[in-house]
Amino acid sequence: MKNQNSVASTSSFDSAKSVTMVPKPVQLAAAVLLGMVILYGAGFANSAVVHDAAHDMRHAAAFPCH
Amino acid sequence: MLFRQVVLYALMAGLVSGLLLTAVQFWQVIPIIQSAEHYEEALAETSAHSHAVHSHDHDHGEGLQRTGLTLLSNVLIGAGFGLVLLAAMVMASFKTALPSRTPWLHGVFWGAAGYVVFFVAPAIGLPPQIPGAEAAGVEARQLWWAMAAVCTAVALSGAVFAKSPWRWAALGLLVVPYLMGAPEPSTTAFAAYPSSMASELEVLAQRFVAATAIANAFFWLTLGLVSVWALRRIVMPTETLPVGEHQS
Repeated sequence: MKNQNSVASTSSFDSAKSVTMVPKPVQLAAAVLLGMVILYGAGFANSAVVHDAAHDMRHAAAFPCH
Repeated sequence: MLFRQVVLYALMAGLVSGLLLTAVQFWQVIPIIQSAEHYEEALAETSAHSHAVHSHDHDHGEGLQRTGLTLLSNVLIGAGFGLVLLAAMVMASFKTALPSRTPWLHGVFWGAAGYVVFFVAPAIGLPPQIPGAEAAGVEARQLWWAMAAVCTAVALSGAVFAKSPWRWAALGLLVVPYLMGAPEPSTTAFAAYPSSMASELEVLAQRFVAATAIANAFFWLTLGLVSVWALRRIVMPTETLPVGEHQS
């Protein structure tokens, strides 16, 4: 599982080690993006069902609500 | 892998901070929302004509269901804000000597920054509102909210992390959202209510601002501290193994 975003090995000199090809800043940017998607869904999405479910949180967290 | 670690720890931070936020909200925030809704119901009963402005139904269930959904929503924003905060903290820690010994006090600073960016700055222009209050169109307010948060985040991070001697100029961005002005409703907040109810609602609205300011401060303090705990665990392996990722 941990090799999902990695190449299998760097070559013969270190076959046991997997080197992640995705640079750390890109991984962190992906984490920020995921966070924003979650925040958009919970705090901003205008669908009625989501709004009703998140209603009290939106009021309490100062997200704009209806 | 860094991404997976940040996600898992942010989910944990979301769970902890969301649970705590929900508990704190039950002290004042939720009771005030429910009081405001009683006024809304009273208004709907007294006025024969239907109010187009308040046409939304409060179809979010009652009791346990409502509490559960609020808890879930709080955990979700905990995870969402946690992802943003923790990723920023990890990014900033790359330049520090011993990230695994990041002091707890830094959690207070980061939490305070998150509180200012995502609560205080938007709330200055668009104070947290009780149900029933008049407001400008929701999309315009959401856009302004996002702009206020982005401007404040860029201003603070520029002033703290930029290398230029002009970095303090970034703080000028702080005032931009207010110069542009938050979207305002065309009437006063409780124009739809009889004046006696409106004045009571004004008091309720002020109490709500104070209650949410306290509750969200608790939330961000928790999120900052849990994120320091996470940061100390995430960056540890990269110190002992400087080349590439850690081996788990």
